[in-house]
Amino acid sequence: MSGPNKKLTLSRKQNLSGWAFLTPAAILIAAMSFYPMFRALILSFKTGVGLNMKWAGTYNYVRMFQDAVFMQALKNNFIYLIFQVPIMLVLALVLASLLNNKDLRFKGFFRTAIFLPCATSLVSYAVIFRSLFAVDGLINTVLINTGLLSTGYNFLGHATSARIIIILALIWRWTGYNMVFYLSGLQNIEYSIYEAAKIDGASPWQVFWKMTVPLLRPTILLTAIMSTNGTLQLFDESVNLTNGGPANATITMSHYIYNMSFKYVPNFGYAAAMSYLILILVAVLAFLQMKAGDKRD
Amino acid sequence: MRKKVMAVLVAASMVLSLTACGGSGDSSSNNTEGKTETEAAGGENELTVWCWDPAFNMYAMEEAEKEYQKENPDFKLNIVETPWADVQTKLTTAASSGDLSSLPDILLMQDNAFQKNVISYPDAFADLTGSGIDFASFAGAKTAYSVVEGKNYGVPFDNGAVIACYRTDILEQAGYTVDDFTDISWSEYIKIGKDVLEKTGKPLLSCLSGESDLIVMMLQSAGASLFDEEGNPSMVDNAALKEVMDTYAELVKSGVLVEVNDWDQYIGTMTNSTVAGTINGCWIMASIQTAEDQSGKWAITNMPKLDKAADATNYSNNGGSSWAVTTNCKNMELAEDFLAKTFAGSVAFYETILPASGAIATYSPAAKSDVYSEPQEFFGGAPVYAQISEFASKVPSNNTGVYYYEARDAVATAVTNIVAGADVETEIAAAEDTVNFAMGK
Repeated sequence: MSGPNKKLTLSRKQNLSGWAFLTPAAILIAAMSFYPMFRALILSFKTGVGLNMKWAGTYNYVRMFQDAVFMQALKNNFIYLIFQVPIMLVLALVLASLLNNKDLRFKGFFRTAIFLPCATSLVSYAVIFRSLFAVDGLINTVLINTGLLSTGYNFLGHATSARIIIILALIWRWTGYNMVFYLSGLQNIEYSIYEAAKIDGASPWQVFWKMTVPLLRPTILLTAIMSTNGTLQLFDESVNLTNGGPANATITMSHYIYNMSFKYVPNFGYAAAMSYLILILVAVLAFLQMKAGDKRD
Repeated sequence: MRKKVMAVLVAASMVLSLTACGGSGDSSSNNTEGKTETEAAGGENELTVWCWDPAFNMYAMEEAEKEYQKENPDFKLNIVETPWADVQTKLTTAASSGDLSSLPDILLMQDNAFQKNVISYPDAFADLTGSGIDFASFAGAKTAYSVVEGKNYGVPFDNGAVIACYRTDILEQAGYTVDDFTDISWSEYIKIGKDVLEKTGKPLLSCLSGESDLIVMMLQSAGASLFDEEGNPSMVDNAALKEVMDTYAELVKSGVLVEVNDWDQYIGTMTNSTVAGTINGCWIMASIQTAEDQSGKWAITNMPKLDKAADATNYSNNGGSSWAVTTNCKNMELAEDFLAKTFAGSVAFYETILPASGAIATYSPAAKSDVYSEPQEFFGGAPVYAQISEFASKVPSNNTGVYYYEARDAVATAVTNIVAGADVETEIAAAEDTVNFAMGK
């Protein structure tokens, strides 16, 4: 082994092999992800039906704010976001700190039971929720038999109850998923500081809010950003649980984008523009959460 | 040094394995592409077809293959089961990428989507006007779905003529027969419906909430549409639409119509005997007949007509599909000849498929066949297929337009709000605005 290779210093060699490892993945991501995103951005500035696209500048971006259905979808997304994400995250946090108790028996069983919902398929759980809350479904049957209702209530036929059911479904599906993040975060907190707090006479309430929450801040930030992202892109529940109804009261932005591309007369330019609005919203919200949540500076 | 060699080797092997993956992926996709292409080219005598129902349209295609093979023993069909939603997605993808090579020779298309697809992707579909297929032998209202700018793009297949089905045993308890429901108007229907509900506790009709099937059926029964001749939305000041909306709201409020949230529940209301009847395209009979214990307890007749609309009839259409030939077809003559001699030319073929699949033709000569007048035990021994063929010939034609699905959804939103108590005129105006907006006006 001689020649130019000899001139490479150790750190350059390590850098080079690092790049060699990175290149394949980087090329794949660029070709499969970044290039289509770039094309979608260009597409979002065009308008037309099917293949006959022509340049339209910012027309699509102006148009979406005049689109009553899209505005309704945007509002619905934010309703889900404002109610569902905080409830779910607090619930996940409480469950995680309960399950983190060293003396708890059957811990593994409880953890699995709470995590299990997020191993179910999005479509099948949505369909199950739909039949649970049907007019002759389980929930109505129970309510009638216990005398709380005289006839079945059409949960999915009324705007408010339909939204509540979507939020309930989301909480059921995703709480366990977020709890796992908190549990792993809690593993990194030294147990002895909890013992110290106990000796100092701190109540469980104080321990939770003054110790667990601040120490878990990075994990909470991560789950908050992921949940925001997931909620803004919500699709399966809107399509399969309520089909956007009643009267667009539960339709989400992604569902409307799908309709615009595949159900209605295809308008890919407009659909791409709406997708970019979701991207911008996710980016802005994530940025705000980082500003508010990351106290490392 | 050794480390470096190792690193390079590992990296190289990774790159290699990746390209190997990519390569094998490519070659396999090339293979399949090559395969579909040869299939589409049909060698000499093969055609690929997309359709979706093994018991219905796929079965019909298989029988058509056998029929055509009598004259052309080498002929082969490659029938690929593709649900409608997938056909639409694949079609949209292929046509918008400009690469039509993934499309089959012939595909089955929902009548409601025909105009939209042909106008959005004119290059993807073959004009069949001068192909020797006799379009005049099909029901006019049916053929109209697949005619764009005076050109025929589709060969009509199954019938969506609307039938009203009633449970004769439940009606009997309330003191009615199916004759009391024949040639009636909606106001009479609601009157009898209230009486049936009072005496038996069963509504006459169930419907999917958030879907506008019934609305559109009622509109078409009076020859009315959500669009005018030029394809512009005409909802405001559309007297027929207002009457339909009022009638629908009245049906829901009186309890004669019960709304459910999904298709399974809708079928369930019939098979579980929670309702005394239904109104839908005649293809609903296949679902009704799944409840074998109800055999002999059903009867069919025509649907109620609007009270005030000028051209009101008791006949309408919902659903149905037609065969389209794509421009990816390499053997156009074969495809045209195949369709002309089977779906558009053979009464014997329709006689074969009817008893097994219930596929009721829109091919007029077939309706005169004896097979159609055979009594059907499930429907109390009535010759229902002949009845339906007769209904089909009386359906008024209406204009679906390109923006049909947008209009349907907008009207469904409006009717949901109207049932919840909103003002009819305001909601119709809002629906028209939504459609105008979708059309970029």
